[in-house]
Amino acid sequence: MSTRLRKGQAPTKRMAHVWDASRCIACGACVLGCTSANMPEMMFREEKGWKSLASNIRRIDSVTPQGRPEILLVQCQHCEVAPCLTTCPFGATYMDDNGMIRLDPRMCAGCSYCVTSCPYNVRWFHPDSKLPKKCMGDTCLDLVDKGMPPACVQACPAGARDYGDLNDPNSSVSITLRTKRSRRLLENAGTEPKYFVVEGS
Amino acid sequence: MAPADLHFQVDIAHWGWTIVWFLWFVGIAGMGSVAYFFVRKAALSYVVFGSLVLGLLFVVSHLGRWWNLPRTLWTMVTNGIFNWSSWMLIGICLLSVHLILSVVIVAGHIPWLQRIGWLKWTATLSRANAYLALYAFLGFMVTVYSGFLLTQAAGIPLWNTSLIPILWVVSGSIAAIAVIELLYVFGLVESSVSTLAVRLGLGLDAIKLLAVLGFLHVALSFGSAGARIGATAMASGEYALMTWGGVIGVGILIPIAIGLYTVLVKKSKPLLVVSSVAALAGVFFLRAVVLLAGAWEPLVL
Repeated sequence: MSTRLRKGQAPTKRMAHVWDASRCIACGACVLGCTSANMPEMMFREEKGWKSLASNIRRIDSVTPQGRPEILLVQCQHCEVAPCLTTCPFGATYMDDNGMIRLDPRMCAGCSYCVTSCPYNVRWFHPDSKLPKKCMGDTCLDLVDKGMPPACVQACPAGARDYGDLNDPNSSVSITLRTKRSRRLLENAGTEPKYFVVEGS
Repeated sequence: MAPADLHFQVDIAHWGWTIVWFLWFVGIAGMGSVAYFFVRKAALSYVVFGSLVLGLLFVVSHLGRWWNLPRTLWTMVTNGIFNWSSWMLIGICLLSVHLILSVVIVAGHIPWLQRIGWLKWTATLSRANAYLALYAFLGFMVTVYSGFLLTQAAGIPLWNTSLIPILWVVSGSIAAIAVIELLYVFGLVESSVSTLAVRLGLGLDAIKLLAVLGFLHVALSFGSAGARIGATAMASGEYALMTWGGVIGVGILIPIAIGLYTVLVKKSKPLLVVSSVAALAGVFFLRAVVLLAGAWEPLVL
């Protein structure tokens, strides 16, 4: 079980998500897998602000200037310098010893400061619990505690998703990031995100 | 062409009209208590107290899990978790202390409360300069906090500017002056105070006009995509009528015109009512447009 980091403590692990855009076939299995695993009650309900399925993974469909359709999948980046951690007035948002940004529902009053503080727009309000949801959901946290991959990684049929420790040079994510060209979103925001988009080999 | 990933915060974070009312009341209460230091009229202290209470009611009603607030505070205190890097926590503390100071000042002004022996100290305390200076300072800080509350929200680039706390202080001062003018119309403040307030208000209106235009100019010309989206919504988009008609037309130009008429020609109570109501509405519209136009930086691959 992971624990809350106290002020001045550094995480022992730096768990990161990798999305390989060059392998992704845009099937949406990760988005559905996330919702069905973590909040099955939302399977047929929309996140009204995003106008899409309520999920901890947000899908952005766009078209390049050359007219080619493209997608971007975004989720909590588990930033090393997380703005939501700085702004949460009650300490409900915290970093655990795995370097994951988590939410303690006991301490959340639903002010949504974390929602406006996230540059990646990946938090959404659960209409029933009024909790600001984001990756990882409870089921995924249970899965990774048992040493299994999170739901999105399990659901992906193309092997485009991965999750692992950046501090471990032999982890699959470290190997991927060493051998393939990748980048992070809003690099200039200074948040040090731990979500990597692999662009190709 | 609109970016594919275009989202306004009000649709997702739901910082909407409830927060606008909160910011408006806090602006009146905050700078109203600074004005109280100079004016020291019972009616003004009632307005400050009422605005604080209403502002707090609005902000608590906005909480998605307001019913969890006692447990939240209890867990926070028992676990010793105080996130002093959060402007919202700083604001909660400032508002709480300011509310307590306000209660004492209001109690000091209520004659029947002063007949209760053990409450007589409130009248003494509410006349003490040091106490009123603290009250004014906290009022100023509460207004500043309500600005930094937005500035610290890193997801909304339009808000990430120190102009917002300055705008809030200037417009809060204009709101306090408008309240003083209304109190004068009702015979609760002397004419000399009102005359000074009109002159001060003229200068503040000019500064506010410059600050609002500067806010738009900087965001439109040098801001990131998210800031430009928000500023465009304010300047020529969904909220343009509220910006040009409400914030600048009603909130700045009408008070300036009436203020000049008052200074150069004569003082008219009906016109002062129009000017004060327009100024208060303008302060409200300013908070509304800035809040509602907040959008995220569009993400692209």
